Amino acid sequence: MTRRRWLVPYLLMAPGILFLALFFVLPNIQMFLMSLSTKASGTGLARTYEFTWAWENYAKALTDFPLQFSNSLIYGGLATLLCLVIGYPLAYGIAFRGGRYKNLLLFLVIAPFFTSFLIRTISWKIILGNDGAFLSIIRDVLGIVPPNFSILGTPLAVVSGLTYEFLPFMVLPLYVSLEKIDRRLIEAAKDLYAGPMRQGGALIGGFAGGGLAVVLMAGFGYLPLGVDHLPAIVLVAAIGGITGATIATLLVSESFTRIIFPLSLSGVFAGSILTFIPAIGDYVNADLLGNPRTQMIGNVIQNRYLAQNDYPTAAALSFLLMAGILIAIFVYARALGTDELTGGAE
Amino acid sequence: MTDRPTSERAELTRRRFLQGSALTGVAAFIAACSTQSGSSASASTAPSAAPAASATPGASATPAASAAVQTPTGPLHFANWDAYIDLTTIPGKDGKLGTDDDEYDLPSPTLDEFSAKYAVKIDYVNAAIDENESFMAKIRPQLVAGADTGWDLIVLTDWMASKVVAAGWAEKIDHANTPTSVANVRDELKDQPWDATFDYHFPWQSFATGVGYNVKSTGRDLTKIADLFDPKFAGKVTLLEDPHDTFPLIHLMLQAQGKASSNAAEVMTADDGQVVHDYLKPYVESSHIRGFKGNAYLQDFGSGDTWAAFVWSGDLASSGGPDDRFIFPDEGSMIATDNMMIPKGAQHKYTAELMMDWVYDVSRAARLANFIYYISPVKGVAEAIKALDPEAAKNPLLFPPADVVAKQHPQPTWDDASETKINEQYADLKGV
Repeated sequence: MTRRRWLVPYLLMAPGILFLALFFVLPNIQMFLMSLSTKASGTGLARTYEFTWAWENYAKALTDFPLQFSNSLIYGGLATLLCLVIGYPLAYGIAFRGGRYKNLLLFLVIAPFFTSFLIRTISWKIILGNDGAFLSIIRDVLGIVPPNFSILGTPLAVVSGLTYEFLPFMVLPLYVSLEKIDRRLIEAAKDLYAGPMRQGGALIGGFAGGGLAVVLMAGFGYLPLGVDHLPAIVLVAAIGGITGATIATLLVSESFTRIIFPLSLSGVFAGSILTFIPAIGDYVNADLLGNPRTQMIGNVIQNRYLAQNDYPTAAALSFLLMAGILIAIFVYARALGTDELTGGAE
Repeated sequence: MTDRPTSERAELTRRRFLQGSALTGVAAFIAACSTQSGSSASASTAPSAAPAASATPGASATPAASAAVQTPTGPLHFANWDAYIDLTTIPGKDGKLGTDDDEYDLPSPTLDEFSAKYAVKIDYVNAAIDENESFMAKIRPQLVAGADTGWDLIVLTDWMASKVVAAGWAEKIDHANTPTSVANVRDELKDQPWDATFDYHFPWQSFATGVGYNVKSTGRDLTKIADLFDPKFAGKVTLLEDPHDTFPLIHLMLQAQGKASSNAAEVMTADDGQVVHDYLKPYVESSHIRGFKGNAYLQDFGSGDTWAAFVWSGDLASSGGPDDRFIFPDEGSMIATDNMMIPKGAQHKYTAELMMDWVYDVSRAARLANFIYYISPVKGVAEAIKALDPEAAKNPLLFPPADVVAKQHPQPTWDDASETKINEQYADLKGV
């Protein structure tokens, strides 16, 4: 057997490679060829596509849908950011303060996955809809909005749906990386006088909070960015800054910033990737919770394939999306540093 | 810290793996490249034969074997939409007929009588067709290959039916076998631009597209398409998902306001579409129109997210709430028809023609209309239905009054170039 040991890895990988080749590589190649085709002949239902090295399909796809590309980037980015802001404290709480209830809490985080993701989105449609709880409170009880106000169809609704869908994808990797941290390091830090985040803590928290507030409000469309809106921007940044500074000084400690957070970066990276990639390509949330102005690239691809039978443009868009995501992840990996990716293992 | 491998071929190094997969990828690329051009060549020869065959639409009639006496063969495979034929009423839990909990199921009296008379079985599949496009996607490969689709009789909406006829995928109907249909079809349904002489289709049921609204939310009655654009309804209006429904209705409204060309709605052009697009765009941008929906508008009406919308005539009456109303707008409405067709390669064509003839008998058509509650394509049903249900005879959904019918237009059928342009305009409105 030792003579043929070189064969063993290939044999072990053969089923996986075959599966990938048949169901991933070949379809991708076929799609790539389709993206370089144009509609050749046939009328109505009997259309065919001819491969003509039509690189202009890519140029057209890149320039025809600026609103949808920017929507995808903004909503995907906001959803990832919100998942991080909500998910990190959640994962931290479960890992460090969970105690006996860790498994139960983790189960509660995963429990929504037992229902179909389409049903979860439809339930958000009902919650945010005219009959739902949210509008009942602010419209009927508090009376601060007019009767034909609606949350459905706003970027806020779409991003809320996206955040809810992908929160477990952020929480679980974060939990895993936080769980791996050696608790004795924190003890050691405390022995070495680690205390509240003294050096510039308020400043960092203020800037982070202010920046986050402005990004969120601008992304949801409630804060137009421009020189004439400077007072509003300053006001939002101030509110966010004060909140951030307060949280930083009161709740964040040095052992967190210097030990826990750097060691958890691999979890942050994994969670962000797992959230960002599907969020950018998502179309169900924009379809059910959005309106014609909040459509994402996924919706364009779906429309081109199924309603307009414009396969070349749709295929070109798919590849552009893939390329964009790969570039973004590459840049992100470089920024975080490859050491952190492996969790500092050496 | 890496040990040198003892044998030269022992380790599967990363370099070798990448080299191997690159080679595999290139090989697969070349293979797919050649099959792609090969298959597109063979696929393009097949449809080029089909338009040639349909190039002589109604000119040369070839009454093949109708001279000889034919016997109906079976079983007849009949695909139809949901609840589109009369069903048997079964008493519900209370055991009594004519109460609210009655249930409806096959068998259908119409089909049963046909079976008895011609001694053929009928394989009627209820809700075999849910959407024109998805059903066509199922039978398209067989039609392209010229094989039997498995169906003898299918029911498709006008715009899809016109494409099927244009692609040459419908069997020519022998009118010697369908005298009742030819005689009884309503005059308003004649002269369809895509099959004026009923060579390839006969209408099954018609449905109207108009304005639906919830009278409690809107606070008033709506009478015109222009009412949808009342600023008080901002954010609570939806239009229909298919441009064949929405664009002509807006075109009618703009014509009434003097802002559109004089092309009739059924022959509106891509330029008319551009005018409609430019009119609707600001309303979409300001979110006055919250979306373009299909049957999902029923849920939106139920939850109150939509107050007024373009809707199909039967839906609100059968599935809406007590405050939902349907009106035929003053500017006019669309009427579309779902049509019976025989797909190419059908095995029991003669039986299918007999079935087309069968349902055009006036009393049978009245019985169908009384159950389905859509607009019958048969002349004289208004009188015949009084015997079954006097209330039904006065229902404007079943029998639109003459002034409404005068303003009803069929859906337009666009050629390839126009349809591409209009789809682009519509996609721009929908935000995709």
